[in-house]
Amino acid sequence: MEELLRMEHITKRFGDVYANRDIDLEVRKGEVHTLLGENGAGKSTLMNVLFGLYQPTEGSIYLRGQKVRIDSPAQAVRLGIGMVHQHFMLVEAMTVFENIILGDKNTKGIFIDKEARKKEIVELSERYGLDVELDKPVTEIAVGAQQRVEILKALYRGAELLVLDEPSAALTDLEVEGLFRMMGKLKEEGKSVIFISHKMREVMRISDRITILRDGRTIRTLDREATTGEELADLMIGRELVPSQYVKVEQAGEPVIALREVDYHKTSKHNGLNGVTLTVGRGEVVGIAGVDGNGQSQLAQVVTGVIAPDAGSVDMKGSTVAQFTPNGFILENVSHIPEDRNKMGLVGDMSVKDNIVLKATGDPRFSAAKGFFLKKKAIRDHALAIQKKYDIRCASIDQEARNLSGGNQQKIILAREMESQPDLLVAVHPTRGLDIGAASFIHDVMIEARDRGCGVLLISADFDEILEVSDRIVVMFEGQVMGEFSGKEPPIDQISLAMAGK
Amino acid sequence: MKHSGKLISVLVPLVSVMMAFVIGCAIIAILGASPVTALQALWTGAFGTARNISTTLSRATPLIFTSLCACFAYRCGVFNLGGEGQFMMGSIICCYIATRTGLTGLPAILLCLLAGAVFGGLWAMIPGILKVFRGQNEMIISIMLNYVASLFMSVIYTNWLRDGTVPQTAAVPDETRLTRIFGRATTGFLIALVVGALIYYFLFNTSMGFQLRAVGLNMTTAEYNGFAVKKYILLSFIVSGAIAGLGGSAELLGTQYRLISGFASGYGFDGVAMALIGQLHPLATMAVAIFFAALRVGSTAMQTATGVPTSVSDIIQALVIVFTVAGLAMVKLPSFKTALARLHMKKEAA
Repeated sequence: MEELLRMEHITKRFGDVYANRDIDLEVRKGEVHTLLGENGAGKSTLMNVLFGLYQPTEGSIYLRGQKVRIDSPAQAVRLGIGMVHQHFMLVEAMTVFENIILGDKNTKGIFIDKEARKKEIVELSERYGLDVELDKPVTEIAVGAQQRVEILKALYRGAELLVLDEPSAALTDLEVEGLFRMMGKLKEEGKSVIFISHKMREVMRISDRITILRDGRTIRTLDREATTGEELADLMIGRELVPSQYVKVEQAGEPVIALREVDYHKTSKHNGLNGVTLTVGRGEVVGIAGVDGNGQSQLAQVVTGVIAPDAGSVDMKGSTVAQFTPNGFILENVSHIPEDRNKMGLVGDMSVKDNIVLKATGDPRFSAAKGFFLKKKAIRDHALAIQKKYDIRCASIDQEARNLSGGNQQKIILAREMESQPDLLVAVHPTRGLDIGAASFIHDVMIEARDRGCGVLLISADFDEILEVSDRIVVMFEGQVMGEFSGKEPPIDQISLAMAGK
Repeated sequence: MKHSGKLISVLVPLVSVMMAFVIGCAIIAILGASPVTALQALWTGAFGTARNISTTLSRATPLIFTSLCACFAYRCGVFNLGGEGQFMMGSIICCYIATRTGLTGLPAILLCLLAGAVFGGLWAMIPGILKVFRGQNEMIISIMLNYVASLFMSVIYTNWLRDGTVPQTAAVPDETRLTRIFGRATTGFLIALVVGALIYYFLFNTSMGFQLRAVGLNMTTAEYNGFAVKKYILLSFIVSGAIAGLGGSAELLGTQYRLISGFASGYGFDGVAMALIGQLHPLATMAVAIFFAALRVGSTAMQTATGVPTSVSDIIQALVIVFTVAGLAMVKLPSFKTALARLHMKKEAA
């Protein structure tokens, strides 16, 4: 089959972080090509490069053999690339029809020949089985229909290559069938589809070829016929087992936190919890493995008091938690390294020093008279000591935290959270985006806390990290616990199957 | 970097003021007057004599209160655009106590000031509660409440507390008026200074003030770190309203003495602009308020001396606001930051 698109050596760097590193991708005419990878593997970045939203740091793109430069989405559309984002880009107050013709360069003059346009769109929608009500405002149609509008919009603008970013996430099973029929039809007509997903079942059904991305790199491109779901899952999470440098604990102490049958937005597959039962004991690291977006964020929020479960109970050190507030959990000596350090962990506009003492300004060490007199000298001395102890690299402790590198920002949070000698540490993607040095420092601190008798709940999409530090591994899939495994000589095959929902 | 950041935050308003004056001078020249003479007249009008200085400070007093009101709420990350309404509510209750209860002298003054603060605080609590418990937009509600307060005030001076044939209230009795400490400047100015100093102390030297600032800069982080975010937001509204309400009392007892059409008009938004130019620093905000008062007082003298209309001063004031806001936005641009960093590196290399 003829080649339609070739992306060569694509590298995209944000500051020090590589989102894409030397990625190659080739899409042929008339094929469904799946991009498979965990969240953060670089799929969306690569597609944003293709669609002209980002400029690659290095690398080139060829369409039909011609080298092209795509510097805007408009340019991408002109080249016949259509994209349906995970989050739809529709003007909600406008009708379906208006959304589809919006920004169409073919409409000349001031007036739009609505009837002719409508006829074209109706033809298109019949041809691909994309059933929509043209005159309804977008707010009044369901999510599945909104997606069909997005697809129609792309096809109406003459897309030869359609990028679908996790299209099935929001659809019912019936709608997924319709989507697949439409993809089949496009293939018949010689058009190509790039399908982004991490649902193994769908990938195995619809793809012709599959390219696996991990950590921003291309791992391999495989023919669907020549592979199995298990192989894909293995490649996706990366399966070489490196012996852990940490001694694994087999017998944990008394439970610090115990969840029983906890539900939260149970019906949501990607942002909910469904009957989660889980215990973290003193002196153990429990690793939550799983593809991102299977309820891990919600789990972290429940065990730190940010959200309250809809059903089920949470026991903290033997007594049932009645009120879910972050402060209540902090008073129970729970520390939290949140998943988004800039949004949830740091006050970027405040100094390194202020972020280090953030929680503790009311403490008698740092203020007198119930907080009405801040001991600035004590705060400064403490911050300097912490900066040294945790090797936080900054020009000065008065520097704004937002100007530090990711690793040093994470160290600020780590320092703040560890200094209270927690009984439970909840760490969510603690090393995401960090270099190896910073990552292993953070792991060391976590293990130290464990050995001191702290229970550690580690939630991470980085499977290597889970294997490295966990004493016990719990796999989550679509809000449910899929299995529990020992962290000592972990059965990787079984874990990767569990992560794929089998 | 830290150092240059501070430098920029001072430089931007200063450069803005200079640019505004340059354009102001050009306008004056176009009008056929000599810019030098006009500016001299402006300066003399504002600061030339002890009496003029006192007039400037007296004009600055209400502006200090409303700008501190805006500043305090902004520091907690919420926008209280209702300073004017809260100011009016404070002056309304103050007027009632001063003219109708028969109380006079110091007890009346203290009660008036207290009641003004309480009423201003209560009035600001409305958008605060709606924001915290119902997620409503505090800007729109606080602006709308300005109209409510303003119309309520006109009911007060045209009906309920009307005195005589003219639609205005009775004047505050002499013994209940604030003492003049220096020319026209009253103890109200001192109160404003004390409030500003207290806010400064609270924000930067207490644990609560620290947490309030953290809430203002990143609500999610504050929540994750166990701060009572909702409590702080509500508190910031109430305190912010109380500052404005106290200002309303002080203005009535110190300068205006009676409620009348146009009382406090424009003070609310002036305060917001001054807080922005002062970059939410209470002390800087007070300085900005005095500067604006000087422009206003001086412009009258300028008009009398050179025939240049006072609206030229309004233009300068508006330009200062526009330039500062634009300037502060500009220095946040990534390209500006890179250029600055490059400059730094060059300096270090040299």
